[in-house]
Amino acid sequence: MGGVAQLRLMVVLGLRSLWTHKVKTLTVGSLLFFGTFLVVVGTALLDSIESSMARSITASLAGHIQLYDADAKDPLALFGSGFMGSDDIGEIPDFAPVKAAVSAVPNVAAVVPMGIGMATISTPVELDQVFLSLREAVRDKDQARIDALAKRTRAIATDLVTEYANRAKISTDTERIAKAQADLARVLSDAFWKELEDSPELSIQFLDSHIAPLASDGRLVYLRYLGTDLDAFTRDFDRFQIVEGEEVPSGHRGMLLSKTFYEKQLKHAVARSLDRIRDKRVQGTTIAGDALLRTIARELPKQYQRITYQLDPADAGTLEGQLRELLPQVEGGLPELVQAFLAVDDANFDARYAAFYELIAPHIKLYEARPGDVITLRAFTKGGYLKSVNVRVFGVFRFSGLETSDMAGAQNLVDMMTFRELYGQMTPDKRAELADIKAKVGIEDIDRASAEDALFGGGALVEEHQDDEAGFDEFRGVDLAGQVERLREEAAAPFDQTAVDNGLALNAAVLLKDPERLDESLAAIREALDAAHLRVQATDWQSASGMVGQFITVVRLVLYIAIFIIFLVALVIINNSMIIATMERVAEIGTMRAIGARRRFVLVMFLFETGVLALLSGGLGGAAGIALITALGHSGISAGGVDIMVFLFSGPFLYPSAGIDQLLLGVTAIIVASLASTLYPALIATRIQPVVAMQQKE
Amino acid sequence: MPAVVEVRGVEKDYPLGKLTVRALRGVDLTIDAGEFVSIAGPSGSGKTTLLNLIGCVDVPTQGSVSVDGQATSSLDDNGLTNLRLHKLGFIFQTFNLIGVLDVFQNVEFPLLLQGGMDKAARRARVEAIVDAVGLTPQLRQRPNELSGGQRQRVAIARALVTGPRIVLADEPTANLDSQTGANIIDLMKELNAKDGTTFIFSTHDAEVMRHANRVIRLADGLIVDDGRGAPRAEVPAPASPA
Repeated sequence: MGGVAQLRLMVVLGLRSLWTHKVKTLTVGSLLFFGTFLVVVGTALLDSIESSMARSITASLAGHIQLYDADAKDPLALFGSGFMGSDDIGEIPDFAPVKAAVSAVPNVAAVVPMGIGMATISTPVELDQVFLSLREAVRDKDQARIDALAKRTRAIATDLVTEYANRAKISTDTERIAKAQADLARVLSDAFWKELEDSPELSIQFLDSHIAPLASDGRLVYLRYLGTDLDAFTRDFDRFQIVEGEEVPSGHRGMLLSKTFYEKQLKHAVARSLDRIRDKRVQGTTIAGDALLRTIARELPKQYQRITYQLDPADAGTLEGQLRELLPQVEGGLPELVQAFLAVDDANFDARYAAFYELIAPHIKLYEARPGDVITLRAFTKGGYLKSVNVRVFGVFRFSGLETSDMAGAQNLVDMMTFRELYGQMTPDKRAELADIKAKVGIEDIDRASAEDALFGGGALVEEHQDDEAGFDEFRGVDLAGQVERLREEAAAPFDQTAVDNGLALNAAVLLKDPERLDESLAAIREALDAAHLRVQATDWQSASGMVGQFITVVRLVLYIAIFIIFLVALVIINNSMIIATMERVAEIGTMRAIGARRRFVLVMFLFETGVLALLSGGLGGAAGIALITALGHSGISAGGVDIMVFLFSGPFLYPSAGIDQLLLGVTAIIVASLASTLYPALIATRIQPVVAMQQKE
Repeated sequence: MPAVVEVRGVEKDYPLGKLTVRALRGVDLTIDAGEFVSIAGPSGSGKTTLLNLIGCVDVPTQGSVSVDGQATSSLDDNGLTNLRLHKLGFIFQTFNLIGVLDVFQNVEFPLLLQGGMDKAARRARVEAIVDAVGLTPQLRQRPNELSGGQRQRVAIARALVTGPRIVLADEPTANLDSQTGANIIDLMKELNAKDGTTFIFSTHDAEVMRHANRVIRLADGLIVDDGRGAPRAEVPAPASPA
């Protein structure tokens, strides 16, 4: 057998018998069509998500490859491992040799040191701020300011009196309320303010300890920070952009706040609530139609104090005039006006929102910290003690395309020096200082063997000390002012690249020149690290990112299982219908065999027939899949504002694309599956004896 | 004339449940090239079994069959298939055309299986043979568009297209009316006369038998008359139907 003519015969036989057995063809064809469609659409979507997610992860934090301690107890999970508690990823004690070794790999564009930590910053209550200003005014003997702040304090106290009068009606804790009312009465008395002039310290202390707690609580804000080489980070992560303020100057300590954190954690609560309603309304939700928005709107007027307490008396006067003009029907003073102003609904929202930012926002502290401010980060060091570090905020940043993703914006950036300090690593200066202290106090390093001798035997270790009559002073001989000054200098002192590189990092991001060559580069980096005898492991961005990175693998697995099941069902159905078709064609096959067709001819004929059907329906299904993906690629698939989706889509919309790869995969898979399922019926067909042709009787 | 078929001491048993049906019980037969032979006998006499053995679609339980000098028992499936393809042509009682192919393609089919002929030569050969059976106007029609007689003509054309040594026909007229049947036998005889192709056909129709040059009579698995002289065997009492 052979030749074009035979092929033509196969085509004619194949197509005609497909046409003749229409029901079978339609059933099997639809299955094959659907199967290919699913493979093409599924893999195209997954491939698109994978590459967009790769962009999100690599551009925002991970780079293409992550390096970390080879002896780490937990695997690195940059976006969280999904388990409670913090992971112990070990540390890279000295980053410089790692950087040197990895940078030497040809495809490596940059190696950026990193370390993630969690700190708190506390935001003061409005009243605290008033009292703080008052303390400053008293210290500066600024009488005009003292008067203004006194007036504001009395205004706040008046509000609190009303509030506590209301509370008294519903609360059973009468004792506490009575005490609060007594304290408030004292603040409102002229006598108190007279006292302030005489003994300011005591009066302010009374305000701090008795009045401040009466107002609502201050907040403890948790801040996740990524210590890094800021110069390298801002240069090498190309989606990074400053949206407010400036980058931290090279060689200086400083912090960059993520736009997401800035807007969602640091912004004034009232502004945040208004923003939230606005964002939802932009998406088409109404306050009346959404339970959450209704709650937010209902709570808004109750937060008026967050505004009124922050106002200077002068500003308060101006605002009162403006609000009265806006809301002439409202009776009462500024608190009532602000409350009325904050009562928003769908009809007045847009106007109120604009008015808030125009009239109120300029007079209040819109953000707890803004570029230019110094904030105090408190974190537990590796050793377990609480460390506070002051750091200047230079700017606010975001990753373009990931503006709405909380995950991408979870990290705030801080310089490597500050990070190491919060982590509890000693700087050379600190080490010198400690040695100095040890020398001064006379601490000796004693080894374990001689510890007992040193403790109980030997010469007099305890020296008789004659205290003077002033008694014991723990601060004697300590230059506190000098200490503070020295710390300040240290914090302000510029540092160079060597200082950034020579020191501890927890992990490091490697950015590649050609990300396509990731596997190859990963191997080269591992080799380089081994050659340099560094106990550092390298892993790709997907596994380094933790749960998020694994997400796509899980989805892919689910898709493949679904495809596998559909294929299995298709296989069984194709198998059955081909067996039925074979039975129907026994006479035909017997005749072919009798007149000289070999078994192989029968086998090929059956496989060819299915192959043609698979190619046609698979091709159509694949084409339909590509058409759908192309249409979606133009319209975009909305992430629905869901954070994880925005992150996976690397933006608010996913624009998937499908190519020849997915089509080939789909069609090949379906052809292989259908041929496999035809094999058995075809083998049955080859066993049909030519003698059956002779036994045909009508 | 040389012998194209030699059957020697052939027995053929079929298992039927626990019983064994002895379809042929020792048959010796020689058919020479160019003969126009009818195998006759009542139902169950072993006509079809004998034809199947000569047609290489079955092998004997005992004895030997050789076709054009080739012993069939020495051949495997592919060997038998090749023998059928190159030396034999088949005409079936139920025509057995391939329904999805038209007249031309049905007749062309064995040539394609054989291979080795170029398109033009193949076309000429098919058209000539279709013309010989008088179906040129129906060349592009499918079997279901043809009458029974026309279908059997297509089958004859298909059987003859490869130029076989022997054409086997199992009750070729059984599904045709007597006039059409007679025409078919006439056609076969005409082709036999023209090309010298050996025709062996089974029938139980006395009218059809009349056209044969030689009639081999079977009864209960034995040849009772090989058409060349005295009967070979007396017919014993029937054992069981085949």
